[in-house]
Amino acid sequence: MRPIANSRPIVRFHGVTRAYGSRLAVEDVSLTIHAGELALLVGPSGAGKTTLLKLINREIRPTSGQVWVDGTAAHELHASRVAELRRKVGVVFQDYKLLPRLTALENVAFGLQVSDLRVSDDEARERSRDALEAVGIGDRAHAFPHQLSGGQQQRVAVARAVVAQPPVLIADEPTGNLDQDTAWELMDLFEDIAAWGTAVLVATHNVDIVTRLQRRVLTLVQGRLVRDQPAGQTGRMAWLASS
Amino acid sequence: MAGVVVRGPFPPRRTWRTVAANVFRYLLQGAARSWARNLGGTAPALGSMTLLLLISGVVGVTGFALYNLEQVEAGQASLLHVYLRDDASADDIATLRNRLEADPRVAGVAYTSKDEALQRAKRIPGLPELTDSTDSNPFPASLDVQAKSIDDVAAIDASVRYDLAVDPVYPTSYDRGAYQRIQSLLFGLGVAGLAFLGLLGFVAVSVTMNSIKAAIHARRDEVRIMQLVGAPRWMVRGPFLIEGAITGGIAGLVAGAVTFGLTAAGITGGSSAFAQLAPGVTFTVAALAALSVLAAGLLLGSGSSLISIRRHMES
Repeated sequence: MRPIANSRPIVRFHGVTRAYGSRLAVEDVSLTIHAGELALLVGPSGAGKTTLLKLINREIRPTSGQVWVDGTAAHELHASRVAELRRKVGVVFQDYKLLPRLTALENVAFGLQVSDLRVSDDEARERSRDALEAVGIGDRAHAFPHQLSGGQQQRVAVARAVVAQPPVLIADEPTGNLDQDTAWELMDLFEDIAAWGTAVLVATHNVDIVTRLQRRVLTLVQGRLVRDQPAGQTGRMAWLASS
Repeated sequence: MAGVVVRGPFPPRRTWRTVAANVFRYLLQGAARSWARNLGGTAPALGSMTLLLLISGVVGVTGFALYNLEQVEAGQASLLHVYLRDDASADDIATLRNRLEADPRVAGVAYTSKDEALQRAKRIPGLPELTDSTDSNPFPASLDVQAKSIDDVAAIDASVRYDLAVDPVYPTSYDRGAYQRIQSLLFGLGVAGLAFLGLLGFVAVSVTMNSIKAAIHARRDEVRIMQLVGAPRWMVRGPFLIEGAITGGIAGLVAGAVTFGLTAAGITGGSSAFAQLAPGVTFTVAALAALSVLAAGLLLGSGSSLISIRRHMES
């Protein structure tokens, strides 16, 4: 599935700058990610990829500019309303961040219930099981994280991120701890999630994934968005399409 | 892999019972479990807070007793005994009494005869032996003058001490500065007690804050996940607040029980001596002191946690 030109914009940056002291981590970035779109965020270490992701779920505020997430102005959101925004943003990390004393099913249900106290145990269990089956590890629902491989743990993390059906999913180096085959399986999963209407933004260093996936690629260098290659125009010859 | 299928909106089962069950599990049960798990780290906070509250309770009861004692002393200090010569004539005594009763600073005047003075002396501990050792009555008759204000006692004393009816050797019971000395002593004790409690309070709050900081650190992954999945702030912070309240509550409960026990033991075991040294301290006062200590523990524990949460947990 490819992003539809007139589909609903989910994430919008307008001239966003984020400074840490005198250093600009993100500088004058403007971009839009639509519903159902999978975009890859690339760039060298320190380019500002993580900062850009943190701006989306309002872990940090922009120094200037506007960040809109599914119609919510993240840039001016009061601290007391940040939780509302974060329910719209699923997050996946490189190190999975699963709770070791909970099973896979409980990890997913925990995320669901603490973000919405109206979700009953039955509902949480059922929806978590669905999410785990959807990411391909329904049979390991009762395993603890230490009993799962890295790829399986990352799938649990993805299930936790999407179980509440957020309109946007962000992933910070999700394949960083995985072998190449498992990384590809995970990217397949992200493609499937996007295909069902979620805007997915994945920050990655994995060149092979970027060149072969043929998805939209946003390139950050020293905080500036230096290239925005549309889907299908990536790969070794992509420079032909960029000025 | 086939497309991800996550169910559509779940059929509504949203009742207050579900919310209450989740709040109980994640907020109260979670806090209690975490508190029990971190008991080793909480023990110093629990100990210092118990000590602080116990001392506060004992100091509180003692302070109440001292306040009552001061009131008794103030009442006695504003009562001036004007001792009469044994050979004073009835006319001289009546003249003096009339003059005192006409004085606007005087609230009332009563006459105590030598016999009444003797009887009164016999009721004072230690004096019966003295009174029995002599055949004559050494206690003079007196006019007992109740001053309207304690500040007027000196002036009334000055106006009567050279009167014809008054004993020239030992004219009145007025002891310049006696009441002020008591007041100064009590004030000094109060300030020292408060300073000591303040210091102990600072230690208890600091130790509790550190234990909550350690609890936050121990559960940092859980906190981070809760924050990122959009758990409300009170849901993220609540368990730590409750952990602090549990620490303070247990410390308050122990300290309150000991305060009550010590006071009750004093009341039942000390009898009249306790009543004289700690006037007004009853079982009701002991129970109120214990409850106050418990409430102070809860406030101190949750307050310390709140400060620690604000300092050590990102919003």
